[in-house]
Amino acid sequence: MKYALYLGCAIPIKYPGFEATTRLVCERLGIELVDLPFACCPPGTSMKMVHYDSWLVLAARNLCVAEEAGLDVLTLCSGCVNTLKEANTILKKQDARRRKVNRVLEDHGRHFAGTIEVTHILDVLYQDAVVEKIVRKMEREVPLRVGCHYGCHYFRPPKYMYPEELSPSESYVPVKMDHLLSIIGVEPTEYSRKFLCCGSPLGANMDQDAGYAITRQKLGHIHDRNIQALSVICPSCFEQFDMGQVVLSRKFKDNRKVPVFYLTQLIGLALGMKYRELGLDVHRVKSRKLLEEIGMA
Amino acid sequence: MTTLRIWKHFPREDLYECYQCARCTGSCPAMEVAPAIGPRETILKCLNLGHQDVVEDERLWLCCTCNVCEDRCPQKIPISDLLVALRNSAARRGNIPARLVLAVELLAKTGRSMIVHQLDEMRAHHGLAPLPPAPIEEIRELLSKTGFREVIEF
Ligand code: SF4
Ligand code: SF4
Repeated sequence: MKYALYLGCAIPIKYPGFEATTRLVCERLGIELVDLPFACCPPGTSMKMVHYDSWLVLAARNLCVAEEAGLDVLTLCSGCVNTLKEANTILKKQDARRRKVNRVLEDHGRHFAGTIEVTHILDVLYQDAVVEKIVRKMEREVPLRVGCHYGCHYFRPPKYMYPEELSPSESYVPVKMDHLLSIIGVEPTEYSRKFLCCGSPLGANMDQDAGYAITRQKLGHIHDRNIQALSVICPSCFEQFDMGQVVLSRKFKDNRKVPVFYLTQLIGLALGMKYRELGLDVHRVKSRKLLEEIGMA
Repeated sequence: MTTLRIWKHFPREDLYECYQCARCTGSCPAMEVAPAIGPRETILKCLNLGHQDVVEDERLWLCCTCNVCEDRCPQKIPISDLLVALRNSAARRGNIPARLVLAVELLAKTGRSMIVHQLDEMRAHHGLAPLPPAPIEEIRELLSKTGFREVIEF
């Protein structure tokens, strides 16, 4: 099992702990990762909104880099998977757009051919062969009530993200993270507004307070269900919940906090990895006490 | 001239299928916390007043890009594509939020959309090597050819 590792920007720059953990977890599970000269995805929340053609060409360049190496792309972020999967779908299906993009890329010796797929760490870990390895290599269970947050861009709009799997009128309801975590002894816990936005793009682009107002609503529903930890698969969602709780607790004098984990950190815990090794020491909302309660710190 | 281009990118006829039922706006997280326009209202304005009115309004940008609106729309109006087309048009007229300008400028200058102090130290803390530089020359040349300067100087 071999992929081109697409790091994106937020993970290697803001949350290198997720990168380190993911590399270690993949190594233990026999997933080979290859580093290639990728650039920014670029984000659907910024570049695409401002200049669509630039967004598509820069995304196509990343896809070409992976095509040249003959490898599928493994992303670690809901935003990156959104951009690269959507661009891949569009360029494979729409001849006029592909021709236009290739005219720009060809000056740089690149050509989009449509020979690879784009996937996300959650989808890679969810494969039968990997799940079997997790079960075999697991050293301990992680008995926590966890709320999963997938990040809108991981699965919407389904017409671009799952073009072959769904009819145009169907919605996609993601379940893989809940299922995967139940394998390592987690109790995946439902909560209201689970599939709605964390607030991040609104805060990043326009209005920080409005973004955090959305986060606060979600956190309220999370506390209602006595959820002990959150699991995310996107650095922007992570920041919104982790930093967001620090900001919100100051503003509203509310001390309830729920630690946030990046998915591979929870898998790493089950594989026997330690607090520092997982980079949990740099999270704003600390998880040490919680992990001590379940004998894991 | 630039304002008319939007309907080249988005089939205006699609909007006639809208029921104006407001299921989209009712699901919109941005509408709940900010004075956003909302997808139903955006479509109505585009149909009744022409989209000029919409692209000049800075509230057009109050959006999470979460695409819940399109997901829940009973008519499957391609709202996400409409919002991209409208915002691209707004950007050409200089209607872009300041934070977003900074974000895309950074991307065009560095090839990445994020910057921090002491990156190497941070990565070393997690046992990682420094991040290789982004292929910035190629990125800038590509952006010159796609016409990115129509919107942002870089
Ligand atoms: S949900 Fe669809 S049909 Fe209803 S108002 Fe919104 S866009 Fe129109
Ligand atoms: S994509 Fe924007 S307009 Fe649509 S529901 Fe989300 S925040 Fe509202």
